[in-house]
Amino acid sequence: MSLRGTPEGVKRAAFEATALPFMRALYNTALRLTREPPDAADLVQETLLRAFRTFENFAPGSNCKAWLFTILYSVFTNQYRQAKRRPRMESVEDLEERFQHFTQAPDNPASDVATVEGWGQRWNPEVERALRQLPEDFRSPLLLVDVEGLSYEEAASVLGCAVGTVGSRLYRGRKLLFAALQEYAHQAGYRKGTALDR
Amino acid sequence: MTDAANHLGATLQDFLDGRLPDARRAEVEAHLDQCPQCRGELEALRWVRDVALRRLPGEEVPPAVARRVAAALDAAEAPSQGWARWAAAAALAAAAVLAVVLLSRPSGDLADAVARDFAEYSGGRLTLDLQSSDPAAVESLFANAGLVFRTRVFDLGMMQYHLAGGRVHQVRGRPSALFAYRGPGGRDLVCQMYEGRLADLPRTDDVRERNGITFRVYRVKGVTLVFWQEGAAICVLASDAEAEAVIQLAYAKAVKV
Repeated sequence: MSLRGTPEGVKRAAFEATALPFMRALYNTALRLTREPPDAADLVQETLLRAFRTFENFAPGSNCKAWLFTILYSVFTNQYRQAKRRPRMESVEDLEERFQHFTQAPDNPASDVATVEGWGQRWNPEVERALRQLPEDFRSPLLLVDVEGLSYEEAASVLGCAVGTVGSRLYRGRKLLFAALQEYAHQAGYRKGTALDR
Repeated sequence: MTDAANHLGATLQDFLDGRLPDARRAEVEAHLDQCPQCRGELEALRWVRDVALRRLPGEEVPPAVARRVAAALDAAEAPSQGWARWAAAAALAAAAVLAVVLLSRPSGDLADAVARDFAEYSGGRLTLDLQSSDPAAVESLFANAGLVFRTRVFDLGMMQYHLAGGRVHQVRGRPSALFAYRGPGGRDLVCQMYEGRLADLPRTDDVRERNGITFRVYRVKGVTLVFWQEGAAICVLASDAEAEAVIQLAYAKAVKV
């Protein structure tokens, strides 16, 4: 018995070909937003289910990834954001001050963490940890633009804010993340010119 | 105007992300030549974007999550399918309607989905992630993608089928290792392996046994599908070549696990 000719069979096939390839991106963003694998699984399932039910609303040729992230953020905002308060790493002001300190150091532009050879998979857990502790306003533009490759305009649409807001939060988020990672590098004893794999 | 006393701040990011008009870019470049602090900040921003974040690998979707999503989509699909079938079958006898409904449960779509993948590949609409005639390279593609079941990319050269490459795929929401061959007369052969059980497949009258292995054979719109179990995985060959030839290929390559 073939379902190929039925409207539902065609819809399911189109959905699988168009939307499901982004399940990995959705899952990783959900993990970074919720910080808990069971919550991330729930969030991904609800996102894809809603996307499937409203797949008629998706305009072929437009960016499916951005459309799916819009649904994911909508579900997250309604169901998870209020329920779970994230831990703060330290105050935003302290981190921004630290960023300025690093960039004003006399031996710049070559700052420690950016010049350490061999930055790679070994430090990805530190990046993930720093990301998850960032205030959400700054974390979301980083996740959408830098990790997932959305444009400023697409990220603004996902987050329901102005393009300029995405830009300013991205700027501050990048600085905060740099300062946090620089701090980790210092705590781990790395200085400019040292190799990570020493 | 920019000079060393007026640092660029957020303009650096617009510069980095290519969001400045040409004239402004030239001003920024001139400032950067004179200002080590802005150069340092630009490099820090670039490092966060290009090294720390853009290369962040993330995790594979756990198979249990992929299965949950597939089941949720099956459940979402079922009611409207049932309605459509009942409406279409209004003129049929009750027994016939019941048979249609029973045969069209979501699990029945697996054979259909594999046949559809074959048609998409054969029509050039489904592309391979890796084009290679080396089975080991294609197996590495699947291993690196984190597929939890062991994949076995066959060498079918003796049977005149030459490996074209592989793709990390999804079949009905299940992670799947898809690899394709080009055979005699330019016929395509698509193999998929995914985690599952033969019992998930729809009923078929064409069930064969060979060397202690059960093969379930389907024909969907000119495509022959041969499924068998290898450990935790289901293997399926799909081709529009002559049906018995496809079945013989499956006999030749199936391994009892």
